[in-house]
Order: sequence, then structure tokens, then C-alpha cells
Amino acid sequence: MSSELDFESRLNRRTIITGAAGGVMFSGLVARLVQLQLFEGERYKEIANENGVKLDLAPPVRGAIYDRFGVPLASHRQAGRVSIVREQTADMDATLAEIARHIDLPMDERQRVIQQARSQASFQSTIVKSELTYEEFARMTLLAADMPGVRADMAATRSYPRGRDLAHVLGYVAKASSDDLARLTENASPEEASLLARLFRHPDMRTGRSGIERAAETWLRGEPGFRRLETNAAGRVIRELESEDLAPTPGRDIGLTIDAELQRAAIDRFGDESGAAVVLDIETGAILAFVSTPAFDPNDFVNGISYADYNALRENDRSPLYHKAYDGTYPPGSTFKMVVATAALEAGINPDQRVHCNGYYRFGNRTWHCWKRGGHGNVDMHWAMKGSCDVYFYEIARRVGVEHLADVSRRFGFGQVWDLGLTGGRGGTVPDDAWKRAALGEPWYEGETLNYGIGQGYLSTSPLQLALMSARIAAKGRLIEPFIIGEGPRPDKPIPYAEPLDPDHMQRMMDGMYGVTSEAGGTAWRSGDLGLGGPRLAGKTGTAQVRRISEAERRSGVLKGEEIARRLRDHALFVAYAPADDPKYAISVVVEHGEGGSSTAAPVARDILATAIKRDSRAAARWQQTASAPRTGNSGGTP
Amino acid sequence: MARAARASAIRFEDRTFAGTLGELPWGLVLMLITVACIGTAALYSSTFTNPEEAGLPARHAVRFAISLGILFVIALVPIGIWLRAAWPAYFVTLAMLIGVELFGLTRGGATRWLQLGPIGVQPSEFMKLALTLALARYYHNNLTFQSGRFFIHLPALFIIIVPAALIFKQPDFGTTLALIASGAVLIFLAGLYYRIIAAVAIAGIASAWPIYMFVLQDYQRERVNTFLAQLTGQSVNALDDGYQIEQAKIAIGSGGWQGRGFMEGTQAQLDYIPEQHTDFILTVIAEEFGFLGATGLLLLWAAILAWGLVIAGRSNSLFGRFAAVGCVATVAFFILFNVAMVLGLVPVVGVPLPLVSYGGTVMFTTMACFGILLSVHLGRDERLSTQGMI
Repeated sequence: MSSELDFESRLNRRTIITGAAGGVMFSGLVARLVQLQLFEGERYKEIANENGVKLDLAPPVRGAIYDRFGVPLASHRQAGRVSIVREQTADMDATLAEIARHIDLPMDERQRVIQQARSQASFQSTIVKSELTYEEFARMTLLAADMPGVRADMAATRSYPRGRDLAHVLGYVAKASSDDLARLTENASPEEASLLARLFRHPDMRTGRSGIERAAETWLRGEPGFRRLETNAAGRVIRELESEDLAPTPGRDIGLTIDAELQRAAIDRFGDESGAAVVLDIETGAILAFVSTPAFDPNDFVNGISYADYNALRENDRSPLYHKAYDGTYPPGSTFKMVVATAALEAGINPDQRVHCNGYYRFGNRTWHCWKRGGHGNVDMHWAMKGSCDVYFYEIARRVGVEHLADVSRRFGFGQVWDLGLTGGRGGTVPDDAWKRAALGEPWYEGETLNYGIGQGYLSTSPLQLALMSARIAAKGRLIEPFIIGEGPRPDKPIPYAEPLDPDHMQRMMDGMYGVTSEAGGTAWRSGDLGLGGPRLAGKTGTAQVRRISEAERRSGVLKGEEIARRLRDHALFVAYAPADDPKYAISVVVEHGEGGSSTAAPVARDILATAIKRDSRAAARWQQTASAPRTGNSGGTP
Repeated sequence: MARAARASAIRFEDRTFAGTLGELPWGLVLMLITVACIGTAALYSSTFTNPEEAGLPARHAVRFAISLGILFVIALVPIGIWLRAAWPAYFVTLAMLIGVELFGLTRGGATRWLQLGPIGVQPSEFMKLALTLALARYYHNNLTFQSGRFFIHLPALFIIIVPAALIFKQPDFGTTLALIASGAVLIFLAGLYYRIIAAVAIAGIASAWPIYMFVLQDYQRERVNTFLAQLTGQSVNALDDGYQIEQAKIAIGSGGWQGRGFMEGTQAQLDYIPEQHTDFILTVIAEEFGFLGATGLLLLWAAILAWGLVIAGRSNSLFGRFAAVGCVATVAFFILFNVAMVLGLVPVVGVPLPLVSYGGTVMFTTMACFGILLSVHLGRDERLSTQGMI
């Protein structure tokens, strides 16, 4: 059967079969291409389009804070920065050393960067240095192209254009620590908590640590959005895709009642002195200036303050970190005498009845001294106020009694924390029998009522409360409440103390305060003229004792201020309102260790009030005028 | 009679050089050049985003030019010389494979290289060609019209198994498969009975389960599982073994009819597919040039291989026919296996797409195969002796 021909044809047949088998296999492959590309093509196209897109949490722009005239107090500034991604660098230390050759980057900063980078996932970026100068930024932009893992870009940085001026009111923002995060997520659901945790890990994200920044955190923060980033398989971002629907919702702005220029003028007026000043709009209770000086610069905190700098702030004996106007409490001294006098009027004491002052007052077996050696002679209430006669007030305080004094004090606003919507705030102490029993476990002694009468003893008040007191006097007893947030998250007010003060009584107080600054015998008669060719101020001086004057010392003559170390000197206080004939502004000034209310505090108060009147600081605020008008963006500022 | 018609054909020795060149199947060469150009373009697209790979397309083109030269050199060597060189080539390569086993260089976990003076060579690559020549030579000598017998194929099997086993041990699974596949085609061509083929096929299918259970390593079993899972349309963990094939399918599928345009494929441009400039280069073509582009490339290759089979069929000698079919089978195996792998039809084994994938060795092997094919074409009328050296 076999022949050469058969052999030949079998070879040909098998060659053809081989080819045919190959053809079948090629057809199979084409069929698979038909399946994948023609039938499932659309589905795969969708997958491919989503494949390279990564959703990245985008931090919202934090709301800005403005003063009453729209001057930005907290806003955003574009600043150059360098960041580094650990996993993309061959050698972190070498890369940082290279960066340090081109920009100023001290060794301890490098250590900090390395530590921070090691504490987070290797693909996350760590900021090496923010706030680059223009030159540094230009240099780093060029260099970053050749340094794997290094990136120079612009980022919005929280900025406080007025620097220290409102440090204590605004507070500051910082990167959220684990403590911050625990606080922020305290009442959040698990989903919200994990979103917040993710959000606050973002290098651009900050949280308020103090002041309004902290108290109004949720108002200012806004809602995070997402950025659609096209990434390659290694996760490296190629470009950002347009996606407005996912954009973050910016935080809401806040408008303060503060007049930033008045604030600045007040701070300047303090000069090197440390102290506090509060200016209130008598009509509304709006806080126009809220000064605590010296202050820190909140800009220093935004990108993390160095340990050394922070320690310097903490150890400064003028306590720049401390909000003296809100958290500080001082014995009101003689500025309290209006409260005592009001209590006396309410108790039915005749203001024309005279008390003889010969320089001291005896009660029981102890002696209380008047500040004026030799005494004031026979004084009625008006004279006692303008001459600040201690003996008169010892006498009427004793007659009024501690409980009534405490009651009237509270109606002036003392002894209560005024929640302004910022962190801190102290209420001070309005002592009475119940308070003393609770705090010290002792009953009230009548001798202590005498100290109460001149604003000393257990009594302590904040500068805000003192300003409020003079505002309530100047408003003829209307129970004004202070506020600082004009537009924004205003705190829920407690129900105010119901019983108003008698307008007639307040008129007497105003007369007395006018006497202090404008009549012969007034303790601050030199400070009555505002220097505006007409309007005068009315006020009351006060001195808060920092140390006890010993009997031995008194006998040998009280030491003059210059002879005592600064920290032992008395605080100088002054409360006032202006213009005297048509009150618009109320003020309190505390000059720490300033010695005399009339010599130190009164001129400061006078100049601040003069500025307020000149500037018309209480003119309608922006949010009052344009409540419904569209707001401009909050990304103001200069690069 | 075909034989009679070709009697007047010019013997190799009688031709002028120019006449020889004129006889070359230039259409085939042109198609090879076209494939290499497509490969260069795809490489350009797939490496564009990565500056470190910027020089790859140019190097690919240069390598093709060099291997085109090698092709002509091999083609112009008379077929009789290849016949005589078959056995020495096979045994020298086999010796080199044993040398690899004894003192080979290990790179990337596989021992494939042999250091010969200044250059490192990969004997397993030479073996693809040497095996084809050796089998062609074996059947040329031993296949007569009487012998449809089974036993005649046993030495052929031995010729295949020995180098295949050595290469499998390196390990180089892709090359082993290539040798067995092209060897099997030649045994089939030599007339192995269909009943034996059927028996082997049944035995192979029957042994699949025991091999899966007892021979494969855990990681290999895992790979087979992943492959089966994606083949049946289950979603596979994108970070596991299935990642590459899943991304490849996305790339190919998203190409649709016409593709997303040159340099416009997101999968390719964003480096989603590992090995996209080597074994998975087809994904770039399928994504950017679509079904038309991918099918076009496959048809081009099919035409080239068919032409190769026509050359085999016209060969007047058994050696020529077997050598030609062997060369076609070797290249066809690479193409079929690579495309099937990229399309998710067979497990991922490192097999490149000839002339398109970046890589020098497969380029030279492929072009050498076509060199032999052209040599067969030029020597189609040679009456080759069954005698020769060895």
C-alpha cells in the first residue's frame, strides 16, 4: 500500500493539517479578541477609566475671621513649601542633607522631619519646610525635579495678618495631635470619626488649638471634599482631574465686633507695659477692643513652634500666653466703689449723708486705713467717689452687708463667666458667706466686708467684667451683655440676671465718675479731657494690691514703687466711659504692676477712648450692613 | 508531476549572487520588517512615560536591523551546509546545556547562562534552532516511505526530551514548552499514527489531575487556580497573581474596535501592566489600536507563518521540509502562546511575542529561524544526500 506517492502525499497532508491546526488556534485567539474588545469592550473601557483615578481627601479651606469692618484677622496665604515622600527617596538622610545645602534647614529640623516621616506610612508626604522665601521656593522648584520623592509646591497656610494683635481672641491652629483628634471625635459616630482622622492626617489640615479657632472649629472647618487624581500603577500622581461636584465645602467665615485698628492703637498705647484693656459699645455690648499684652504671634504656631520658642513664651514673666482681659482676674480695687455705692443707694442710704474720714477706720480691735494719709474730712457719696475715700466705703459697706454687696456685684456682671465663643474665660469671685463656707470652710467675718467695700479681699474680677460694669452704669442700668462674634457661631447666652439696676442710681454713679476725671479733687482730673476739643470721659481709678502692706512697713512709711521689685508693685486700674455727656464707649484698663490707677491706667484709657471716638469704632459693622450681600472669597492675602 | 516541473530549476551553485538575492521571498521579509516596526511603535508608546526606558524603542530597531543581517547570512548559506551542521550544532549545544548545569551563571533565580570568554551565552536559545535542525536531519536520514512505524519516532523523542529536561531544570518553562511543541509538530509531520496521538492526548489529560495534586509546588498550584478562576470569569484579587492578567484584560477590552489612539491608552501610559514592554506588549497594541490593530498583527503573523509552510511544502528534500516546518512551529509557538497568555487563555509563562516584545534573544532566535526558512526556500530543489558528516 505504501508507495513513494503515498509518502509524499501524507507529508503534504500532515503539513496542511499542521497549518490548519495553527489556523484554528489563530482563529481562537481572534475570537477571544472579539469577545474582549467587541462584546465586553464598553465594560472594560469603564473599568480602565476608573482604574487610574484615585480619590484623595481634599481638605476644606478654613473659614476666615474678619473684624467689624472686614479687615481680615485670620485668613489664608499661599506659601511655598518643600515636602518629601519617604518611599520615593533612596536615602532620606542624604536627600535632606542635599536639601539643606540649598535652603536653611538646621540639623534639629532635619531630625524632626525624619522622625515624623518614620511615624507615618511611607507613601505619605512629610513637610520638610514651609514658609519658604521666594528665592528658596524658586531654587527648590528647580531642584525637586531631579530629586526623587522631593516636591516643592504652594499651599494655603493659615495666616494671621495682624500678628499678635488678636492672638488671644483668635487663638491659633496647629496640626492635630492625637489628643486633639480624641477631643474632636469625642461625640462623633465611628464613620465620622474615621473620616476626621483621615482628614486631619492631611498635611494641609489644621485644627484650632485655642481662642475662636478652637471654640468655633466646626463652624470654621467646612466639609472635606475629594480630589480625583489620575495615578499610575505605582500610585504616583500624574495629574488632577476636574471634578467640581466633589470639591470641599469651605468653612464659614466669622465676623468679629472688634475694630482691628482700635485694637492696634490700644496695644501700641500700652507700649512695654503688660496689661489688659476692654472697650465695649455701650449700646449693644459689642466688644470693640479686647487687649491682652504682651501677646504671642499665632503665625508661629501654624507650622509648629519650636520647643525653645514655646518655652520662652511660657517662662516670660509678663505671661504672653495668658489672656489677661478674659482669663485674668484682679482685685478691682477702688473701681468697685460704684458697686458699693449702688448697693448703698438700694439699701436706702442717703447719698448726701457725710462720713468723716481722718485717714483710718476702726472696727473691732483693728484699724483700716484710707489711701490718703490724714483723711478726706467730711465726705458725702459724690465726694467719696471722686476722691476715692476708703473710709466712706468701709462705713457704707459695713452698713449694706456682704449679702447685698454680693447681689449687686452679680447684677453688674461680676462673678460670672461671659461666654464669648472663645476658649477660656474666668468669672472671678464674688464672695459671700455661702461662698466662704464652701471655699474655706469658715463663716464670713464682718471685718472682711470692709475690704469688700474697697474692692479688695477675696473679690476678684476680670477686665471684661470691669468694662461691662462701666457699660452698665453708662447705659443707665440696662443689663448689657458683652459679645465678640458679630456674625458666626454665637454662644448660647445664659438667662441674664433679671433685676436691672435703677437708672437714677446709675446717674449718681455717672456723676461720681465724671467728678473723678473732671472736678477738682477728682483722683484723675488730669485725664478727663479726651483731647478732642470737647468730649470728656468719666471714669474711676483703682489700685489692686499685689502684696499685703505690713503694719511695720506702714509705720515706717509705705515704700515707693521704684523701691519695690516690679512683680510686687500694685496693678493700676481704670474704668471709664465716653463721651461723658452721651456715653458710647465703655472701657476698662489694667496695667499690671502699674502702681497708680490715675497715673498709669487713666491716660491709657483716655487715649484709647479718644481713638475710638475719632475712628467711630462703633459704626455699623459690615455684617450689619450687608447681611445678605454676597461675600468675597476668603483666600485673601498676599503670597 | 511537481518533481518533474522543478527539474529545470537552477542548482544553488549555479546562481549568481544577484540572482540569489532576487530569488528571496521579499514579500516575506517586508512583512517581518512591518511586524518589527509595529513592535517599535508599541514600545515607543509603552515606554514614553518612563524616562529610564527612553532608549528602548531605538535599541529594538537596531537589534532588528542586526538580526535582519544575520537572517540574510543564514539564508545565503547553502542548505546542504545546514544539513551537515545539524548534528554538530545539536551536540555542541547539548554539551553547553550540560555545561550550564555544571557551571552556569545564575541570574534572577534561573541558571541559564554560560560564560564563554567575554560573553555570556544562553544555550537554551540556540537549542530551539539546533533541535529543529537535528530532528530534520534525523528524519531526513531515517524516514522512508516504508516507515510509518512507531519505533522510528522513539529516537526523535529522545532527541527532544534530553535538552527539554535540561532546560526545564534551569528552570525555563517557556523554552521547554517551545522545544516540546515544535518537536511534537515534527513528530506529527513524520507521520506518527493518529491512534498513538490520541492515546498520548488521553494520557496527558488523565495525568493533569495527579500532576496538579502531587507534582506542582504550592505557588504553581496557586497560579493555576488563579488562571482557572479568571478564565471562568470570576473576579480575582487585584493584588494577587491575577493582577497582571486582569489589568491586561482591561487594557485589551478597553481598546474596543478602533482602540484609544496611539499614545492614548490609559492602561499603557499609566504603567498598569507589568512587563508591558516585553511579554505583555500586545496589550499596548490592543488598547491603542483596538481590535483592528490586534487582529491585523495576528493576521500578519498568520500570513508570514503560512508563507513559511508553503516554503516547507515546496522543499524538495525531507531536511528542508522538516527544518522549515520546525522553524515555523517554533515561531508559531511563541506567537500563539504569548497571545493566548495575554488574552488570559493559558497561564502566565514568560513567553515573548517575536519581533514585537523588547528583548534581544527572542529576536535573534526568530530571525535565525526565518534565515533557515529562506535557506530552505533557496535550496528547495537541492537533492540532499542522506550521507554527510556524521
